[in-house]
Amino acid sequence: MKSGGNMMIALKDMKKLTTVSVIACCAVFVCSLFMNYQWDLASVEDQIVNEAGRMMFEAQIASGKVTIGVTGGCLVITSLIMLVFYIKSYIDTHGKELGILKALGYRNIQIAKHFWIFACSVCAGCGLGYAAAYFYMPTFYEIQNVEQLLPKLSVNFYPLSALYLILVPTLLFALIAIAYATLKLKHPVLDLLKNRRTGKSYRSRKENSACSFLHDLRKSTLRTKKTLVFFVAFSAFCFASMVQMSISMMDLASEEMGMMILNIGLILAFVTLLLSLSTVVKGNMKTIAMMRSFGYSDASCTKAILGGYRIFTIIGFAIGTLYQYALLKFMVSVVFANMENIPFFCSASVFYHNDHFYRCL
Amino acid sequence: MKIQAVNIHKAYGSRHKTEVLKDVSLTISKGSYTVILGASGSGKSTLLNVLFGLERCDSGSVLYDSTDITKMNDSALTAFRKEHIGFIFQQYYLLENMNVEKNVRMGADLVQNKQYHEIIEAVGLKDKLKQYPSELSGGEQQQVSIARALAKNPHVLFLDEPTGALDEQCGRQILDLDYIMRLHQERHFTILMVTHNQNIAETADTVIRMNSGRITEMIENAHPKSAYEIGW
Repeated sequence: MKSGGNMMIALKDMKKLTTVSVIACCAVFVCSLFMNYQWDLASVEDQIVNEAGRMMFEAQIASGKVTIGVTGGCLVITSLIMLVFYIKSYIDTHGKELGILKALGYRNIQIAKHFWIFACSVCAGCGLGYAAAYFYMPTFYEIQNVEQLLPKLSVNFYPLSALYLILVPTLLFALIAIAYATLKLKHPVLDLLKNRRTGKSYRSRKENSACSFLHDLRKSTLRTKKTLVFFVAFSAFCFASMVQMSISMMDLASEEMGMMILNIGLILAFVTLLLSLSTVVKGNMKTIAMMRSFGYSDASCTKAILGGYRIFTIIGFAIGTLYQYALLKFMVSVVFANMENIPFFCSASVFYHNDHFYRCL
Repeated sequence: MKIQAVNIHKAYGSRHKTEVLKDVSLTISKGSYTVILGASGSGKSTLLNVLFGLERCDSGSVLYDSTDITKMNDSALTAFRKEHIGFIFQQYYLLENMNVEKNVRMGADLVQNKQYHEIIEAVGLKDKLKQYPSELSGGEQQQVSIARALAKNPHVLFLDEPTGALDEQCGRQILDLDYIMRLHQERHFTILMVTHNQNIAETADTVIRMNSGRITEMIENAHPKSAYEIGW
C-alpha cells in the first residue's frame, strides 16, 4: 500500500497546490512580522517612560492585533477552502485509481492517510513566509519606529512562533486533508470506478424542449457543478476582499506598510482568480472539447460554459467588498475602543498627541 | 465531398519520435462508404483524426474537393467541421448531464436543423427522449451519438470503431441502421469508418488496409454485405 499510495499522489499533483503555498506564505509573512514585533515590543514595555511612547506602544500592539486577525484569519480560511476544494477535485478526477484501491480491499483510512502530503504545500508556503519575514524584519522594525518614540528594538528569534506559524498549520492542514479525504472516499467502489455522481439532483426532468442546446447547457453546467459555482463565487469574494483590504491598508498604514499589504493582497487576489478560471475551464474540459470538435466557435463555448458563472462572480465580488469593509471597521472599533485620541476607522493607525499626528503602522 | 490525402506524415514525441503515419496518400470519392482496416497501433485512428482536422499532420495535405484543411487556422478548421463533418467515436462522448434530446440538439442546433426528432425516431430512441446517457445501454448511447452526428447534416461522416465497445447484437444493430444507409443514399454523403474488425470491412464498398503507418492495400468491394450477413 505504501508504494501504491505514494504513486497515487504524484509530485505533479502537488504543483497544482502552489496557490495554497502562495497564500500560506503571504499569511505567515504578515503574521510573523507582527507577532515577532509584538513580542519584541512587549519585552521593552517597562523601558517606555514618556506618554507619547506609551500611546505609540498601545496603538502598535492594537493595530498589530488587527492586522494579524484580519490578514491571518482571512488567509487561513482562504487556504483551507482552496485545499479542501483541491482534494475534492483530486478525488473526482482520480476516482478510478481510488476505486481500484478500494476494490482491492484497502480501507478508506489506509488510502486517505496518504493525503497528508497535500499539507506539504502549506508547510512549504509557511516556511518560506516565515524565512522571508525574518529577512525583512530589521527594515520593518525601523519603519515601525520611524518617530523614535520607542526604544530601539533588536530582532529576536522565538521558537514558539515557528511552532504556531509552521508546525501547527501544517499538522492542522494534514489532519483536515486526511479527514476530508476519508469522508469523500465513502462513496461506493462502483461509483468511484465509473465516475458516477451520487444523488440525482443534477438531473432535471423539466428540461424544456423549446430551449436551445446552448441555453440548456449553461443551466445544466451550473446545476451539475455546484461546488465549482461556490468556488467561483468564493474566488470573486477573495479577490474583492483582498483588493479592499489592500486599499484600506493604504489609508490605514504608513506608505511602506500600505504598499507591502497592497502587493500581497493583489498577488493573492490574482492567484485566486487564476486558479478559479483554470478550475472552471478544467472542470468543463470534456464538454468544451466535444463542442469544439463539433464546430462550435470559441465564443459560443465561452458563453455557454463560462457565461453562467458571471452572476455568481458579481455576487461574490459584492459580498467580498462589503465583508472586508465591515470586518475591518469592526476590528478597528473593537480593538481601538478603549484608546483615547485615536480617530475612528479610516485613520485608526494614526494618533494625535501634542499637536502631532503619529502613524503606528 | 471528395477527400484526398497527399503524403501525410505524422510523428509523436519530441526526442524519440514515433512515426505513426508514413507518407500516406489516398483518395475517397464522394458518396462512397470506405472502411480503413488495421490492427491496433497501425495508425488508422490517427489518420482519421488528421483527415477530419482534429489533429494536424507534420507534413502533407488533406483536401476536401479543392479546400486544403491543413492550411487552415483553428477557427477556420472549427468552422469547416461545423459545416461539413459529423463523427462518431467508440466511446460515444455524450454529455452526461444532458438528456438524449439535448445531446442530439448539440448537433442539430449548429445547423438550425429543426427536424432532429425525425432522426431520434429513426435510430429507435423515440421513447428515450428524456433519458440521460447513464440510463441507457452502450448500444443506445451509440445510437444517440449517431443521431447527434447525423443531425448536423454532414457531408462526410467519420466513424472511429463505432462498434468497438459493443457486443455482437448491438454492434450489428448499429451497422444495420437503415436510417444511416437511407440517408447515405439520399444525401450522398461520404462515410469513412475505422475498424480492426475484418468482418465489418465486408459491409463497405472500399476497404483500405493499414499496417505500421502505411497503406498496404486498397480494395474495391463490388458486393457489400449487410450487417447480418457478415461474421463477427
